[in-house]
Amino acid sequence: MNLVFQTIAPAELHQEMLRLRQEKKMDFLVLLTAEDLGEEGFGVVYQLESTETGEQVNIKSVCPNREQPTLPTVSDIWDIAHIYEREAYDFFGIIFTGHPDMRRIYLREDWVGFPLRKDDKPEEQNPLKMDNAPLSDDTTCYELQPDGTLTSHKNTIFEPEDYVVNMGPQHPSTHGVLHFRVALNGERIKRVDPVLGYIHRGIEKMNESMTYPQMLALTDRMDYLGAMQNRHALCKVIEEAMGVEVSDRVKVIRTIMDELQRIDSHILYFSCLCQDLGATTAFLYGFRDREKVLDIFEETCGGRLILNYNTIGGVMADIHPNFVKRVKEFIPVMRKGLKEYHDIFTGNVIAHNRMEGVGVLSKEQVIKMGCTGGTGRASGWHNDLRKLRPYDAYDRVEFKEITFTEGDSFARYMVRMLEIEESLKIIEQLIDNIPEGNYQEKMKPIIKVPEGTFYAAVEGSRGQFGVFLESKGDKSPYRVHYRSTGLPLVYAMDTACRGNLIADLVTIGGTFDYVVPDIDR
Amino acid sequence: MYKDKNYFEGLFCGVKSICIGLKTTMREFFTKKITEQYPENRKELKMFDRFRGSLVMPHNEKNEHKCVACGICQMQCPNDTINVVSEMVEVDGKKKKQLVRYEYNLGSCMFCMLCVTACPHKAITFDQSFENAVFDRSKLIKVLNKPGSKVEEKPVVKKTAPAPAAKPAETPAEAPKPEAVAPKTAEEQPRIEAVAAKTEVEQPKPEAVAAPKEETTKVEQPETEKAAE
Amino acid sequence: MFDFSVISQWLHTLLLSFLPEWATILVESVIVALVIITLYAVFAIVLIYMERKICGFFQCRLGPNRVGKWGLLQVFADVFKMLQKEIIKMRQTDRFLHDLAPFFVVTASMVTFACLPWNKGGHMIDFNIGIFFILAVSSVSVVGILLAGWGSNSKYPIIGAMRSGAQIISYELSIGLTMLTVICLTGTMQISEIVQQQSELGWNIFRGHLPMVIAFIIYLIAGNAECNRGPFDLPEAESELTAGYHTEYSGMHFGYFYLAEYLNLFISAGIATTVFLGGWAPLHISGLDGFNGVMDAVPGIVWFLGKTFFVVFLLMWERWTLPRLRIDNILTLEWKYLMPISMLNLVLMALLVAYGLYF
Repeated sequence: MNLVFQTIAPAELHQEMLRLRQEKKMDFLVLLTAEDLGEEGFGVVYQLESTETGEQVNIKSVCPNREQPTLPTVSDIWDIAHIYEREAYDFFGIIFTGHPDMRRIYLREDWVGFPLRKDDKPEEQNPLKMDNAPLSDDTTCYELQPDGTLTSHKNTIFEPEDYVVNMGPQHPSTHGVLHFRVALNGERIKRVDPVLGYIHRGIEKMNESMTYPQMLALTDRMDYLGAMQNRHALCKVIEEAMGVEVSDRVKVIRTIMDELQRIDSHILYFSCLCQDLGATTAFLYGFRDREKVLDIFEETCGGRLILNYNTIGGVMADIHPNFVKRVKEFIPVMRKGLKEYHDIFTGNVIAHNRMEGVGVLSKEQVIKMGCTGGTGRASGWHNDLRKLRPYDAYDRVEFKEITFTEGDSFARYMVRMLEIEESLKIIEQLIDNIPEGNYQEKMKPIIKVPEGTFYAAVEGSRGQFGVFLESKGDKSPYRVHYRSTGLPLVYAMDTACRGNLIADLVTIGGTFDYVVPDIDR
Repeated sequence: MYKDKNYFEGLFCGVKSICIGLKTTMREFFTKKITEQYPENRKELKMFDRFRGSLVMPHNEKNEHKCVACGICQMQCPNDTINVVSEMVEVDGKKKKQLVRYEYNLGSCMFCMLCVTACPHKAITFDQSFENAVFDRSKLIKVLNKPGSKVEEKPVVKKTAPAPAAKPAETPAEAPKPEAVAPKTAEEQPRIEAVAAKTEVEQPKPEAVAAPKEETTKVEQPETEKAAE
Repeated sequence: MFDFSVISQWLHTLLLSFLPEWATILVESVIVALVIITLYAVFAIVLIYMERKICGFFQCRLGPNRVGKWGLLQVFADVFKMLQKEIIKMRQTDRFLHDLAPFFVVTASMVTFACLPWNKGGHMIDFNIGIFFILAVSSVSVVGILLAGWGSNSKYPIIGAMRSGAQIISYELSIGLTMLTVICLTGTMQISEIVQQQSELGWNIFRGHLPMVIAFIIYLIAGNAECNRGPFDLPEAESELTAGYHTEYSGMHFGYFYLAEYLNLFISAGIATTVFLGGWAPLHISGLDGFNGVMDAVPGIVWFLGKTFFVVFLLMWERWTLPRLRIDNILTLEWKYLMPISMLNLVLMALLVAYGLYF
């Protein structure tokens, strides 16, 4: 999808955004992307969507001052902008005035420079540091005075007398190298402050110096439980930009693969949640069944986690001759497995007591915080891109979009469990009639994307996974920005956990289903 | 579900749910176990054909490989995993590029297949080895061409103009990147037949290749010829 | 039925023949202490192996199978590893309390362990207030856990220790009430007496029928909670508190907690066996004399261990099925369900005893 912008000057930005929010009901900030425009300064692209009408508006605002770029914050309008603006500050040094928490998000607090600026030299300015990374208990808020000067004041995150427990970066239930600083009052949680960036690899920066086929290899390494879908999204944006139409066969294969990946991810979700809640046996049952999905992947794609399957204009290899047979064998096994999961865990009184009414998020809250995927659907937000904007073969299959209205941990859990069944149904409808056709369109030896700004999104395992691509017509992109599915979820942890017990943090984190490499990128 | 129930209903439902759980685990107690006895089952353990273990350069019986040291794989690699060392030698009065050492660093390989799909001569492929652990990082840097090996002499190869050293990525010799494993044998087969009269060419791993589809072969065939020219 | 007191009497007279009385008692005490420690270690090893195997089987795995045949030597390897490990001394901890804590825990479980009746005449500690004594000494372990949490001067251990305090003290109530129910039926607190009675009149769980079955189930739940084992392993709660109260322990200090955990499991199963399932008393069905004769031929220790390990298996089965409770769930379960039910149960038992409605 080629993005068309409406450019707004920084001075009017906040007012105009507020008007869009209130009058045009633009309640969902899909993505906020900052980019380096060279001489012109820094641009920030806001992609807005109305969850009622489905209308989309893209706003661009340019701050011409390269020395001290400032923009007014929109974090008071859309909650999720809190964390997106911190990301833009971290990488481009754009100061969002009025943002209550202008800290770096991924890089160390003592990092010098802003690495995604085209003229930044991160290696020279940041020799390898052997000391501990500082972690401050307060944060800076900048205000723009009428005379154009910036003033700042401190906001405290944790009071000196707070009992702050570090959950992570090495902790059994943070599902990776994630770090929560949790202020406790007895066992009750007063505040959660996520500290990100422990496995930040700078994929977006790396992509700027890679060719398009090379970029593909890194998408598998972001959300490793949505490798298929991530790569699908990137291929989709490049194909749409280049005007390549893939064959019907590829569309169906991609759909089946995406759904298998979703099943894989949701089984792991079940397993890890059980592990977090102490039901170790159910954890292994999940892994036992997931093995079968991984075998299907391995036979066709040659990998289990790093699948490396979608390519620009098709897929890496045609489906393996055994693929159809294996998938058909897998479907009944999975149904049996699901029954067992429900027996051992879903119906269990302890599991119910631990999940029901825990970490409730209302529909307004999930939209404001951009929590797409199962987390949003558990709160009653119909956000399934497979239904909203069907792509590939999703328009020719019948399936239900699972939604709940409770918005608690149990609803989030049930959304995933029922989605496995829907995914099985989708696969059943497609597996017998995979159309004939090329599995790979002919592409030029060197792939160049025409000049423009593009965005494409797919329904990943845990929400909308989008790719923002700015091309200058070269063989490498000018700016790539991924809409991480997990970042809004981690942001929502604070809201969902406050006032709950420390054991609920584990439950809520488990039901949110974030994957850390996807957040950190 | 349990929240709305009164004291006794909740108690009985709770006990019942626990009993269902206990029944499930007891059934699993007697089912067949799924543990893989790894080093003992090494013989039966066979990886899938498409599994990417590590990069190899197949050699035939005469210790010949197909690499012409064009360096396209090196250009394609996102991680600088491949280092092709070549030298210029004079053959029949013509200067020709020859492979000296093909270095591959397994430690930094992402298994993205770009090198294999890009290779115009199908000189490299992935094997199914998976026991790649070593005690020393330097052992991960492998030289893929065997000592004393040389490039396979073939009419096809002679027709191909060796890629110029500068900017090989821009040459038309670069094959279409997204090419699959499947058509590999399909186009390799005629070549083998051409040479088979004189020399015995090493068979490409038959299990490494899926049965090619008829029409995909047809599609790919002219394409590669164009690329070769 | 073989009476173990024959051996102990013989030993006593043998020692008396060449030693003065005080020395005899000293030697006997030393022997008993050695036997306790050896049995303690042996049972720890058996239980750890059993748990790992059973857990593996419930989870569709084989469990340990590498060290020795069927992994039989795995636990020895683990113990050997643990013995070699450095006991890390941390700054800013209360060193004395930190080092003292594991001994409290291990001593409490050893003393309770010594109270178990192994065979007819084969018990090491036998008071007329036996059950009361068991309840008293087994709760000493909570002091050890609290000390471990406090002495570590660390955040996770203190949360774990506080949880453990709340949990153990609450569940102590249910255990006390179920024990009262039993005493109500037996009329004695002496352990040897209780078992002797059961060998003559039948196992308590059959004699006391309904209230005894309820008491048995409540005892199993509460006993499991007392040993801090899943689903009540909140003080450790690995997914929340990493390792709870023993986060900061290493080497054999950790090993003591580990040993005590498994032995407490055995002890709580052993007590359940003693008071509900007849201890070393064989299974008798009135009227079938031949059958009873065969049952009598089996030594008492086999009966005791067989029943205890059966209860241990039940506890492991439940541990590997259920998810962990949350602290408020645990207290709700105790104060809203187990405690009122066991109180009613006690009243019911008292009525049955008063009207003689038991076998």
